[in-house]
Amino acid sequence: MTPLLYASSGVAVFAIALYRIFTAGDVLRKIIAANLLGGGVFLILVAIARRPAAGIDPVPHALVLTGIVVSVSATACALALARRLEGTTLDDGDDGDDGSDDTEVAGRGP
Amino acid sequence: MTALDVLLAGALPVLAWRALATDDLHEAVVFFIALGLVAALAWARLDAPDIALVEAAVGAGVTGSLFVTTLRARGLRPPASPAPRRARIALAVLTIASALGIGAALAALPAEPPGLGELVRASLPETGVQHTVTAVLLNVRGYDTLLEMAVLVAAVLAVLARAPSPSARPAARPAAPDDDPARPLIAVLARLLVPGIILVAGYLLWRGAFAPGGAFQAAAVLAGGGILAILAGRRAPDPHARAVRRGLVFGPGAFVLIAAVPLIAGRHVLEYPEGWAKVLIVAVEVALTFSIALTLVLFFPASGEKGT
Amino acid sequence: MTGAIGWAILIPLGGALLAAAAGERASRWIAALAAAATTCAAIGVAASVARHGPSRHPAGGWLAPLGIELRADGLAATMLLTIAAVAGLVAAHALADRSRAAACARSCPLWLFTWAALDALVVSGDIFNLYVTLELATLAAVGLVADGEGPDAPRAALRYLLFALPGSLLYLLGVALIYGEHGALDPATLGAHVGASAPDTAAMALMTAGLCLKAALFPLHAWPVLAYTRASPVAGALLAGLVGKAAFLVLVRLWLEVYPATFTSAAGPVLGTLAAGAILWGSLHALWQPRLRAVIAYSSVAHTGYLFMWFALGTRDALAGALFVVMSHAAASASMFLATGAIARALGHDRVEGLTGLAHRLPIPFFALALAGTSAMAMPPSSGFVGKWLLVRAAFETGHRLWAAVMLIGGLLAAAYVFRLLRRAFLPRPAGEPIAITRSSGGHAALALALVAIALGLAPGLALDLLRGGSAP
Repeated sequence: MTPLLYASSGVAVFAIALYRIFTAGDVLRKIIAANLLGGGVFLILVAIARRPAAGIDPVPHALVLTGIVVSVSATACALALARRLEGTTLDDGDDGDDGSDDTEVAGRGP
Repeated sequence: MTALDVLLAGALPVLAWRALATDDLHEAVVFFIALGLVAALAWARLDAPDIALVEAAVGAGVTGSLFVTTLRARGLRPPASPAPRRARIALAVLTIASALGIGAALAALPAEPPGLGELVRASLPETGVQHTVTAVLLNVRGYDTLLEMAVLVAAVLAVLARAPSPSARPAARPAAPDDDPARPLIAVLARLLVPGIILVAGYLLWRGAFAPGGAFQAAAVLAGGGILAILAGRRAPDPHARAVRRGLVFGPGAFVLIAAVPLIAGRHVLEYPEGWAKVLIVAVEVALTFSIALTLVLFFPASGEKGT
Repeated sequence: MTGAIGWAILIPLGGALLAAAAGERASRWIAALAAAATTCAAIGVAASVARHGPSRHPAGGWLAPLGIELRADGLAATMLLTIAAVAGLVAAHALADRSRAAACARSCPLWLFTWAALDALVVSGDIFNLYVTLELATLAAVGLVADGEGPDAPRAALRYLLFALPGSLLYLLGVALIYGEHGALDPATLGAHVGASAPDTAAMALMTAGLCLKAALFPLHAWPVLAYTRASPVAGALLAGLVGKAAFLVLVRLWLEVYPATFTSAAGPVLGTLAAGAILWGSLHALWQPRLRAVIAYSSVAHTGYLFMWFALGTRDALAGALFVVMSHAAASASMFLATGAIARALGHDRVEGLTGLAHRLPIPFFALALAGTSAMAMPPSSGFVGKWLLVRAAFETGHRLWAAVMLIGGLLAAAYVFRLLRRAFLPRPAGEPIAITRSSGGHAALALALVAIALGLAPGLALDLLRGGSAP
């Protein structure tokens, strides 16, 4: 029963984070949500590893350790970009999709 | 299942919700760090001590401090407006429905499951280490770990793209201005703690061969020490200095080399020659510990870098 | 020659690490050598598949299901060659530009990481390892976007990352469920066991949804457009040409090797509908974009639709068609991004209305644009024609007339948006209007890529034979 309990907790964390990553306005909150999405999946994986009576399955543990490193890398990268961001959101000002603004393209040299 | 399990499993979604729903970003970060600590307890309860160690050091520690640093660097910004109400309701319905579906799927998983655990334990003598998680990470699925190190380096390069060099502004200190009243305290703390931290990191690294611990755990602890030393006034490493760059790629580079040598000999990627597994794994772990710790330190903004 | 598959991953990986640590001059030399050697390794894998058929390479010497096996088959070999051709020519473009040596030295570790990640992705025989390769490709791509010069670069990079991450984590959750049910991660074991149970269905739905989000399939197509239009031409070419196809290739593997018929027959029509939406929506939007790069970005949205059309059709010929579109669009869109970069650099902008009468002033980039355009609008004898013809024929054969009609309409719309650009460029320049052209070089790699897109169409048999040389299609 214990694994299922923690796995359900992981699903709840995942669902909350998934909801907030798309609805939150502020990038910092979106980044927290992205990090917690990973946390939810890791909880489920470790709960799955806990089931065998013969002993813990080490493979999901290794997968989670790999996943945590990937998650830290992505979070650090996102936070560094957030520090360089001028506004608070990802879509204030022009949306960029229509490319209608007149800013010079990045391909132009100095 | 005990009351503690119910409490921990119940606290995690509540903390996640608090971290993501509150209007106050400082509060959000505090709840995020609290969640990391509770998660570390949950890992321990799930018999995953390796993950508990990493979570406490990295999940709550390094990532938490990164959020705090970013919050400080960004300063106060006008609050952002959330998604429109209709979109939020639609998405809420969709996520709740999927969560229920996933929950039902989890409940239907076999109670006595197939898994690779037995296979790993049966192959353990050939892996060169005695701890199963280390055997999977650095031998059986070492190829995953090799690519994971590339992810770490790619991320730090992305972080450093266009980052200013701290030597350009030697007076600036990361995240702790000179008038910070906490500085003398941190300096004393650092002098007391850093030697111990290095010892603990070395111990974790050595332990990894036969018990929970290993390169990443040791590196996380080491990075914590490094960050403390920087907060206490030590000069942060200059990400553009040649020596720092070499340090960054030293561990992953050694790993790639060890992966490539068997190819020259006509064998497979990362196939340790017979009898050499243990030596090579220890060598890789020592090299990786050093580079991972440096990478984690470099994730922190140098020279009080602020928004643009 | 089973070692070549290992070299195709380790050389760009090692090259990226060395280039990251070396000085400006040395890092460009390292990148050039690594690009050349990786291309040789890809050719080695393809030669081995063509001669001896598919082979396996267990990483660490550990066989599946315990270990991770790398696989060289027809699908992997053709994709390795495509990646090498596109990434190699884009690399040549970046390295040849001496005026931007510092920027090149800064970004070359990142494009080598991207190359390594894509090579690792197309040969990976492990569903968790695929997650790691996807993340490596994403983070390297984000680094490339963040390195851009425009003020919008951090925003474009962060938006790209924050949409790519939930995509990969949905996929990972599916992987977790599958492991919980079957205790294995290799496609062979899973293909024999995955069925219609609740965990299996949930896992497949999650993985498919995550990969669709990551591939930016309609209606979640808008998020990479900002990155495509704001990144440097080199980054745009790699992202739209190669990284954007990664999630599709993963889904193809799952569809062929893991998913049972009960799931594919139910999910196919759903993906077909989204694919049709992508083709129409992307092509229509490409018609009235005011900027050249936005036209190419929306053309990429439409092309993602052509790829995903395979899931609705499901035949072997349709798969060959979709993979041909992958190859053709990889070369053509990379060519168009580089050509646009050269044009924008010469003019200082890439507004479509400002291109009037410039074709003869910038002959190479506009010629590249025109050639790559014929592939985008599927005009014979281009490779785009071969791919789309195979897809449309398969749609008629399987009775999917509606999808065939959508693809044909998409082709007409593509002809319209390509002609809109070219007509303006070949119009006579109004008298008395000065043209300020600062530099007119830098279109050679674009031209070479466009020629690759055409050449593939002239000799489609070569690629199709190699594709079938493996067990995959």
